[in-house]
Amino acid sequence: MEFRDYYQLLGLSRTATDDEIRKAYRKAARKYHPDVSKEANAEEKFKQVQEAYEVLKDREKRAAYDQLGASWREGQQFRPPPDWDSTFHARGGRGRARQPGAGVEIDEEQFSDFFSSLFGDRGMGGGPFRGGTRRPRAGRDQRARLQIDLEEAFRGATQTVELQQPEIRPDGTIETRTKQVRVTIPAGVTDGQQLRLSGQGEASQSGGRPGDLYLEVAIRPHRLYQVNGRDVTLTLPIAPWEAALGGSITVPTLGGSVDMRIPAGAQSGQRLRLRGRGLPGNPPGDQYAQLKVVVPPASTPQARSLYEQMQRELPFDPRAELKG
Amino acid sequence: MRDTIDTLEAQPLGDDHWIAVADFCRVCRLELATIVELAELGVVSPSGSMPAEWRLPATALSRLHVASRLMRDLGVNVSGVALALELLDVQRDLERRLRVLERLTTRGDDL
Repeated sequence: MEFRDYYQLLGLSRTATDDEIRKAYRKAARKYHPDVSKEANAEEKFKQVQEAYEVLKDREKRAAYDQLGASWREGQQFRPPPDWDSTFHARGGRGRARQPGAGVEIDEEQFSDFFSSLFGDRGMGGGPFRGGTRRPRAGRDQRARLQIDLEEAFRGATQTVELQQPEIRPDGTIETRTKQVRVTIPAGVTDGQQLRLSGQGEASQSGGRPGDLYLEVAIRPHRLYQVNGRDVTLTLPIAPWEAALGGSITVPTLGGSVDMRIPAGAQSGQRLRLRGRGLPGNPPGDQYAQLKVVVPPASTPQARSLYEQMQRELPFDPRAELKG
Repeated sequence: MRDTIDTLEAQPLGDDHWIAVADFCRVCRLELATIVELAELGVVSPSGSMPAEWRLPATALSRLHVASRLMRDLGVNVSGVALALELLDVQRDLERRLRVLERLTTRGDDL
């Protein structure tokens, strides 16, 4: 595994004070927080920042980390020293969720192997052993983002999600169990919609019911369509004579091609609605065709001649409104 | 240890699905008092009279998740979160409209 230079990650010297660490974290967290950041790889960078802060804000962990010495460099191959204090281990872990293959994982508490090798799988703010109550507590809910294509949102799909969940062995140690869940996604889900799988979150460590798994649907950008809820918008190129004369043209929709009437005198930017041709639901979404008049080039003598004829014979001034 | 289970049907939580506020607190890791403040600021619209008995539309889950993360990770207060969520909505809407307009202004063979 690779060494993580937590000081470098937060732009700090090794002698930074607690206040300097806190300020550096706040600044970096604001820059990379995935809910507000436009930075490339913001989610990954934010996790690194969180991990660095998790160690450096905790005097015990920071002291242990500092024991490794200052000669390590970011990215250098690393193994914990043989005499590494194992008291950080076996404090419980946090579940992880990821979508094998095409999907993007989301897990705000997932730290690097480097962190786990030093401090166990312990995530932010404590593990399943919170509080001192003996009352059975429900297992923790897990969340993940499920990336799907627009066509899958339209027709429904089945995806496999891989979950890593902590489980206590009879001897009290923690084992990470990997569970694969095949999830059937119903047709008509929308971007940002939550899907719930009851009882598929983390197991309770105290005899309570298991948590739930929440999947947030993220529809990948599509080559043709823009999505807004259940509505989709298609930019539809048309020829100038189709715009001027109107007529019927064939338009792709998620459910297959349909014929659509273009009104005479249509203009670029005009939106036409195909009712019920968006994502299915109750009511189903609509498809909007946003017209885009494409002007053919005057690249042949014949085309040039036609344009010249229009120039001579059409009393048309596109800049009439500009004249006082 | 690897464990594979059968295919499970995901339950879509739409705008006609209402969830008890206690479940929101658990899932989003928010205190009830925080959700009450967020409701006062118009971030979510609960139904019911007593806050402890409120129900909220499932579509509020994403918003409250973001609210929870911004408060926890960035130290933003409730008013700041309400403002951030509103601005994020505006930003998303403008970006979506911009993408549609950009397609109008690109050359036909770029589509």
